[in-house]
Amino acid sequence: MTTISPNLAEPPVPSWQRPFKKLLQPTILLAPAGLWLLLLLVFPTLLILELSLIPGARLGNPPGPYGLGNYIELFKPVYLQVIWRSLYFALGTTIVCLLLGFPVAYWIALKAPSRWRNLLLVGFILPLWTSSLLRAYAWITILRSSGLLNSMLGFFGLPGQDWLNRAPAVFIGMSYSYLPYMVLILYASLEKLDRRLLEAAADLGATPQQSFWRVTVPQTLPGIAAGGLLVLIATLGEFAVPELLGGASSMTVSRLIYNQFLGATRNWGLGSSISMILILGVSISIALLLKYGDRDAI
Amino acid sequence: MPPTPSRNSNLSSASRRRFLQAATAAATGVLLSNCARALLENASADKSGAAASATNANQTLRIYTWANYTDDQLLGRFKDKTGIQVIADTYDSNETMLAKMQAGGGKDYSIIYPSDYMVQQMVGLGLLAPLDPAKLTGIDQLMDRWQNPAYDKNNAHSIPAVWGTTGLVFNPEVIQTEIKGWDYIWDNQADLTRQITLINDVREVLGATLQYLGYSINSTDPAEIKQAYEKLLEIKPTVASFVTNGWEDQLAGGDLKMSMAYSQDAIALIAEKPELQYIVPETGSSLWTDTMVIPKTAPNSEAAYAWLNFMLEPENSARLVERLKISTPNAAAFDKLPPKLQQNEQLFPPKSVLANSEGIVPVKEEISNLYDQYWTRLTSS
Amino acid sequence: MSQTVIRRDVAETDTMLDVEMRKVFKVYNGETAVRNIDLDIRQGEFFSILGPSGCGKTTTLRMIAGFEEPTGGEVLIRGQSMANVPPYKRPVNTVFQSYALFGHMSVWDNVAFGLRLKDCPKSELQQRVGEALQLVKMDSFARRFPAQLSGGQQQRVALARALVNRPTVVLLDEPLGALDLKLRKEMQLELTSLHRDLGVTFVMVTHDQEEALSLSDRIAVMNIGKIEQIGTPSEIYEQPCTAFIADFIGDTNLMQAELQTSQGETVEAITPSGLRLWVKPQASLQADPAREVRVSIRPEKIRIGEATAASQSVDQANCYEGTLKHAMYLGTHTHYQVELPSGDMITVFQTNRSSEQLQPGMPVQIYWSASDSLALPV
Repeated sequence: MTTISPNLAEPPVPSWQRPFKKLLQPTILLAPAGLWLLLLLVFPTLLILELSLIPGARLGNPPGPYGLGNYIELFKPVYLQVIWRSLYFALGTTIVCLLLGFPVAYWIALKAPSRWRNLLLVGFILPLWTSSLLRAYAWITILRSSGLLNSMLGFFGLPGQDWLNRAPAVFIGMSYSYLPYMVLILYASLEKLDRRLLEAAADLGATPQQSFWRVTVPQTLPGIAAGGLLVLIATLGEFAVPELLGGASSMTVSRLIYNQFLGATRNWGLGSSISMILILGVSISIALLLKYGDRDAI
Repeated sequence: MPPTPSRNSNLSSASRRRFLQAATAAATGVLLSNCARALLENASADKSGAAASATNANQTLRIYTWANYTDDQLLGRFKDKTGIQVIADTYDSNETMLAKMQAGGGKDYSIIYPSDYMVQQMVGLGLLAPLDPAKLTGIDQLMDRWQNPAYDKNNAHSIPAVWGTTGLVFNPEVIQTEIKGWDYIWDNQADLTRQITLINDVREVLGATLQYLGYSINSTDPAEIKQAYEKLLEIKPTVASFVTNGWEDQLAGGDLKMSMAYSQDAIALIAEKPELQYIVPETGSSLWTDTMVIPKTAPNSEAAYAWLNFMLEPENSARLVERLKISTPNAAAFDKLPPKLQQNEQLFPPKSVLANSEGIVPVKEEISNLYDQYWTRLTSS
Repeated sequence: MSQTVIRRDVAETDTMLDVEMRKVFKVYNGETAVRNIDLDIRQGEFFSILGPSGCGKTTTLRMIAGFEEPTGGEVLIRGQSMANVPPYKRPVNTVFQSYALFGHMSVWDNVAFGLRLKDCPKSELQQRVGEALQLVKMDSFARRFPAQLSGGQQQRVALARALVNRPTVVLLDEPLGALDLKLRKEMQLELTSLHRDLGVTFVMVTHDQEEALSLSDRIAVMNIGKIEQIGTPSEIYEQPCTAFIADFIGDTNLMQAELQTSQGETVEAITPSGLRLWVKPQASLQADPAREVRVSIRPEKIRIGEATAASQSVDQANCYEGTLKHAMYLGTHTHYQVELPSGDMITVFQTNRSSEQLQPGMPVQIYWSASDSLALPV
C-alpha cells in the first residue's frame, strides 16, 4: 500500500486508519488460503452441522424443524457399537503400526548404513503409490483360505488359519496401509535424536536396553505421538479395508455414514450427525497432535 | 510388491448399482448447493424446467449410460436409420449419475439409463420429463410385468431396457446336492460356517429373506421385517462377508461355497468359469430393471424419442441380449432370440419363479429407517 | 619415545596407574586417527591431552570411555583390560563437550540418572545427588530443565552428573570450549578446586594450551595422531621435544639452521640467511656437524636495548644488532619486531620495567644465552 513514486510524499495517515492499514496487507495475502479453507472446509462442515440438526432430513423431503433427534439417535446401542468398532480398528491399527514401525524406523535411522537410508525409506513408501483398494484386494488374495499365507504355512508344515473376514485381517490390511506413514514420521524423529545422549547414557552406566527406554523413547515421544495420532486420524475414517477384509461384522462409522447418504434409507440427518461425531473425534486428535506431536516430523 | 487382483472384472464390471466411489461424487454434488435447508427444499420442489425446444432437430444425441450398453455397431445402425450421431458417456453407479445431473453437469444428455429405484427417485426430484405415448411405438410389445412397473406407473417416465435377477452362485461339484433356493443355507448351516457371501445391500438381503418367509420383498410390516432380521441372524455364522463384488475369485478358488450375486455379475463370471452355476431361488428374487429416460433438461427430445423407438425394435433389443447375456423385457425381442438363450434359466427364470419375484421399490422413510437399523445391527453384531 | 619410557619408570616406582594405554591404534576407513599411543595416567592426577583439532585427542578420550574400540593395542583402567568392556561397564564418567544433558529430565533427574541405574537406595541417592549439586553450586536449580539453564549452568550440571557416580576417572572433553572467556576463567578455577578436593583422576581433552598449562599436573601433546611429548607444564614449555610443540605452546622464534662445531654444551649453528647462533641441542638430539635442525628462541628470553657503544660489552653467546621495525605496547610488556642485517625477523617480549620506550626505526641490540636457543629435530 505504500506509494512507490519517490516524488509523492506520503500524506500523514490519521491515527484511526493505522490499524486498518496494518490489517490490509495480511488480509490480502491470506485471502486465497482463507477463501480456500472457507469454501472447502468451513462451509461444508457447517452444511453438515446444519443437516445434523434437522431430524429425519432427507433429500426430497421438506425439512422439518431443528432438533437434537439425530444425536439422541446415536446413543442407541447399535450405533454406539459401530462407533466403538471404528475406534477399536483405529486404535488397534495405531498400536500395531507403532510396534512394527518403531523398530523399523529405529533400524533405518540409527543402525543401517547411511548411504542405504534413502533407498530403504523409498522401499517403504513405494506401496503408497498403489491404490489402497488394490492393496486391499491383494490382501484378499494373500489371506483367503487357499491364499498365499496359508500355502506358505502349509509349506512349513503349519496348520492353515481362517484369516480373511475377521478383525485380524482388518488390522493387517490397515497396518499395511498406514505403516509407511508411521515409519516416515518416526524416522524423522529418530534421525534427529542426539546420539551423544545415547553415549551419555551409556557412559552413566545404562545398558543399551536402559538407554532405549530411558532416553530414546522419551526423546522421540513427540514423534511417537505425531505418528500415532496421524495414523489414528487416518484410520478413524477408514472405509475400504474393513469393508473388504473385515467380513460380515465389520460395519464402521464410515460405512454407516455412506449408508445413510447413499443407501436405501437416505437419512441425511442421521448421516450428518454421525459425520459430526467423526469430525469431532478427528478434530480432538488433531488438537492433540498439534499440542504434543513432533510437528517437524510430520 | 503384492500381487494385483487377478480379474479385471472385479473392478470394472462390478459397481453396477452402488459403488464406493459414488460417495465422493455425491458429496461433490452436495457441496455445490446453497445451504443444507435450501438443498432439501430445492430438491423437494417440483421444478418445471422446460425442455429445450426440440423442434430443430439437432443432429447429435448425447446419452449417458452404463458401460457396454451401447457399442459402435448399434450406434452405426442408428445413424444409418435416422441420420443422428450419438455420443455416449458412461457411469458406474446410479448415484454418480444422479450427482452429476443434480449439479447441472448433465444438461447435454437427452437419454439416461437409470435403474428402477433411481427412476422413482428422479421422478420425485422432478428431474425427468413425462413420456408422450403418442410418440412411442412398440411399448405394447413389452412383457406384461413391465407394462405397469411399480417403480414408474404406466411407464410414464421410463422405458425398461434390460433386467436381471439376484440369486445364488455356487459350484455344483462342491455342493453336491441340487439347490432350489435359500432353504439350503438354513438347512446346512453347520457345513457353511463362514462359507457364503451376501450382497452388501440391505434391501436385497432382507428382501430375499422376506421372500423366503413368503412375504413381499417390499414388505412394510415391521413385524415381518423383524422376523426376517431374526431369521437372517440364524445364519449369520455362515456369512463370511457382505460384498457385492470381490467374492468371485474366492468362490472359483473354493474358499467360499456360495455367493449371493446379481445375475449379470454371475453370468459374466460363469462365462469364464463354466463349472459354476447360477440359480434364481424358487421363492423368488429381486427383479432389477435398467430403464431409458429423458431428462427435463434434454436439449434434443426428438432425437431422444427416436432412440427410444429404435431400442424398442425387437432386433435391437435381441442383439443386446445376445451380446451382453442380459435379460430383455421386450416380448417381441424374446421371440427373436435363439432357443438356447430363450431356455437359459439364468437369463429367463421359469414363470413360477418370476411370479414370486418383484422389483425393489423405495418404502416410506420410517420403514426405510427400520430396514437400515436392522442392517446396521446385522452387520455389526 | 624415550620420554614415555622414562615416565613409565617413574610411574611404576611412584604411584598406582588409573589409565594405561599400550600401543593403541585407531583406524577409520583406512585412515589412521591415532597411532601407537603409550600413555600412563596416575591416580589422582589432572592429566590433559592437548593438540590442534583433528590430532586424535578426542578419539583417544573416547577409547578410554569405551565409545570407540582400539583397532590395535590395549586400554587398561586400574590395571584391568578394557577390551570388549562396553562404556556402561567402565568405571569412568564423561563430561561431554556439548554437555549432552537429557532434555526430558530435570536437573535433579539428570544427576540422579547414573545412581538410579545402579539401584542406589533412595536415601543415599537423595544425599549424593544433593551433595553433587551443592558441589557445583546448582542445588537451587534442581527442578529446572536443561533448556532453562545458561551454558555455564549446564556445564556444572554435566559435571555433577559425572561426579555423583564417584568414578575412578572423570573424562572431560573440551569441557570449557563453549563458554565465553570470563566464565571460562571462573570454571577453570572451579575445576582445579574440585579436582583438589575430590582427589579423583581427571583426564581432559583441550585445544587450548593456556587452559592445559594452567590446570594440568601433566600434559600429553598430540599431533597427527601421535603423542609428541608428555610432561609437566613447565617441561612442555621450557623443554619442548619438537619444533611442533615449541611452536604450538606459547610463542617462539623458529629458525632453520645447520649445526657446526660444538663447544662444550653449546653448538654453533648457521641459518640459511647466514646468521650464526650458539644453540643448545635438545637432549635426544645428536649434535653431529652438518645436521639440519630447527632453533626455537622464546621471545621473552631475548633482551633488547638501544644499540649504544656501551652495550657492546654484553656477555651473551648470542648478541646482534638490528633495526626495530614494530613495537606493540601491551601495558605489562611490549612486543618488539627486530630486523637483523641477515634479513631475519626476531620477536622479542620485554616487561615494561621503566618508562623508557624504544621507537620503531631505532637501531637496537638483542641478546640471549645459548641455553635459551634450543636446537630441535626437524
